[in-house]
Amino acid sequence: MKKLLVFALILIMGATLFAGGAKEAATTDGTPTIRLLTDATGIDDKSFNAAAWRGIVEFYGDTLSNTSKRGRYYDVVTAQTQDMYIPNLKQAADEGYDVIMVTGFTWADALGEVAPLYPDQNFVIVDVDWVGQPNVMEFIYSEEQGSYLVGLAAALQAKAEGIANPKFGFIGGVPGAVITKFEMGYVQGILSVFPNAQIVDYYANDWGKPELAKAQAKNWYDSGVYAIFSAAGGTGNGTIAQAKEYRLQGKNIWAIGVDSDQFEDGIYEGKKSAVLTSMLKKVENSSLYSLNAVKNGTFTGEVVKMTMEDDGVGYSTANTELKADVVKAVDAAKADIISGKIKIYGTYKDALAAGAAPRGLAALDD
Amino acid sequence: MKPVDTRESFTSRMLSSDGAVSVLVVLLGFLVGTILVALVGKNPLNMYKAIFQSLSGYNIDNGKMNVRYIGETLNYAVPFILCGFSMAFAARAGLFNIGGEGQYIMGLTVAQVIGLLGPNVPGLHWALAIIGAMLIGAAWGGIVGILKAKYEVSEVVSTIMLNYVALYLSRIICLQLPGASTYKTANFPETALLSNGFFQAITNNSMLNNGFFLMGLAVVVYWFIMEKTNLGFGLRATGFNREAARCSGIPVVRSIAISMAIAGAFAGLAGGIVALGSFRYGRVLSGMDNYGFNGIAVALVGNNTAIGTMLAGFLFGMLKNAQALMQGKQIPKEITFIIQGLIVVFIALRSAIALYLAWRSKRQLQKEVLAK
Repeated sequence: MKKLLVFALILIMGATLFAGGAKEAATTDGTPTIRLLTDATGIDDKSFNAAAWRGIVEFYGDTLSNTSKRGRYYDVVTAQTQDMYIPNLKQAADEGYDVIMVTGFTWADALGEVAPLYPDQNFVIVDVDWVGQPNVMEFIYSEEQGSYLVGLAAALQAKAEGIANPKFGFIGGVPGAVITKFEMGYVQGILSVFPNAQIVDYYANDWGKPELAKAQAKNWYDSGVYAIFSAAGGTGNGTIAQAKEYRLQGKNIWAIGVDSDQFEDGIYEGKKSAVLTSMLKKVENSSLYSLNAVKNGTFTGEVVKMTMEDDGVGYSTANTELKADVVKAVDAAKADIISGKIKIYGTYKDALAAGAAPRGLAALDD
Repeated sequence: MKPVDTRESFTSRMLSSDGAVSVLVVLLGFLVGTILVALVGKNPLNMYKAIFQSLSGYNIDNGKMNVRYIGETLNYAVPFILCGFSMAFAARAGLFNIGGEGQYIMGLTVAQVIGLLGPNVPGLHWALAIIGAMLIGAAWGGIVGILKAKYEVSEVVSTIMLNYVALYLSRIICLQLPGASTYKTANFPETALLSNGFFQAITNNSMLNNGFFLMGLAVVVYWFIMEKTNLGFGLRATGFNREAARCSGIPVVRSIAISMAIAGAFAGLAGGIVALGSFRYGRVLSGMDNYGFNGIAVALVGNNTAIGTMLAGFLFGMLKNAQALMQGKQIPKEITFIIQGLIVVFIALRSAIALYLAWRSKRQLQKEVLAK
């Protein structure tokens, strides 16, 4: 009973203290406002959500360390559990943002339910093309193209260093069609250099458990794996942590970053990084694209494809230890992908059928 | 005899009342939380605005009223309360049930299975799914109870281990369900859903559902078993002193097994309600929802009583809803976890107060003896 009293007290306190509080000024200068909604990993995941956030921050001329316009034009709400997705979407719609952006396919059902309830509200979702509502802009990336480049880069680097029979590893988050695109591209990139290379893969079934990736990476590096590509959100940070430890001890092994350029995360000594290259999935371009669309009044419910040609995916050359010849060869491959000369399969089924991927990988197509 | 100082007796009455101490602890948690928010350079008023909105639905910043926020708060509270009961019920019998999460997951899994495969009969369908969720929760907790009662296996260790067994078993099972992809199954038929048109109408389309009734029923059942039945008496006696209970003819082994089973049924119910109330599709879990673990804190704050745990669950539900609102006002979401954590830490004050009271009455006795 006492706790009821406290609740009542807080109610009264609230009512007397804040009643008639000033309304926040709505933006009248024509600058669009945006709310980013993320899953539990938040914008500190150093990859996917971080990239979306970076695009938003960039649009308003802020930097990650100085988000002065946060709260006025843009902000972010992280959902701790999945049952918060629908309430958080409705809350964002109540608060009247020009765009509400969600990242990742786990949001698709919640968005499909909420979007028709707010027909005048603009929504953006990344990695999904099946919501199909007139007020939802959907972005799809050709991850297999960017992943092909990092697989190619790692394999060429191994060749240039004269490593005999190098092994390669892939660590995924929750298996699914999107992550399979990463794995397939990576595998095909490696096999284009070493047709018989041994490739191992592992799925952590979680986007936020770096300890799992770290243990697996240690295991693999110990057994002679040369490079590991993690497409696993926050989980992948474990791979980089392990690679840093081993490079500091003088082992010649590499981690490959994902989504954002993870060069900085891999720095272990001076300017030396354990991240050889990163597959860039420029989710920030989705943020910029949708905000510009609102600004120019061209926002519609459509599926926007982000391929290598559209600068939606790519690879990072931040690490100077990546040999110049390798960069040259990878850039050539990039041009070949854009021109259609190199064909990359995005599903395990197609890759298997074309003999472009080995059997026995843990990738799933749905 | 000296005349009794009424003010002092008021304080000591307050201090010896567990309910009052809990309220005090909650206030203390909020106080420290407020100071922390101010220390990181944010306006604590925004925190209270968010809390106020999650309680009343009134948005102070734009003067808009939306009752949906009340509905969401109540809905978030349901699994907290039920998982709190799971911890509390076992605790009253002297057991530490950390397996609420596993029991919750098993309940959720079975509810999803029945939800997708069960008979599409209105009314019967979801009821069957909920009963199934409670039964599997009871079994999951009961295993631990039997191991503990018969073989003295520590319930702390076995419940923790069963949490992980539950998570991965759930994945294996759910991946076999119709339309299962790596993160979800097909949609449930309408008959499996707990949604309640009346609740949705009065709370402006919130997620509040029939689970709320079930939670209310659970509060009554918990109170009735604990306070009004021989079974409850036996459980409490076992919790106070196992050997004494055994000597007075209470079947201790049975008490322990039953208490773990009932505790598991509460958590299983929570899982069933979340599965069929908050989602239209079955989830292939990739991680834990943590309602089971939070239930431990809820039961601690609620002092293992029916009403106390219910109120503590509402508090946690409110904080969860306020958390999203706070982030919209640029208050870090972590602040709600800090407040919850502080409350749990301060709960330890209860024992300190008990020590203080014991020390004081001893001193008073000494004084009286010396005066003679």
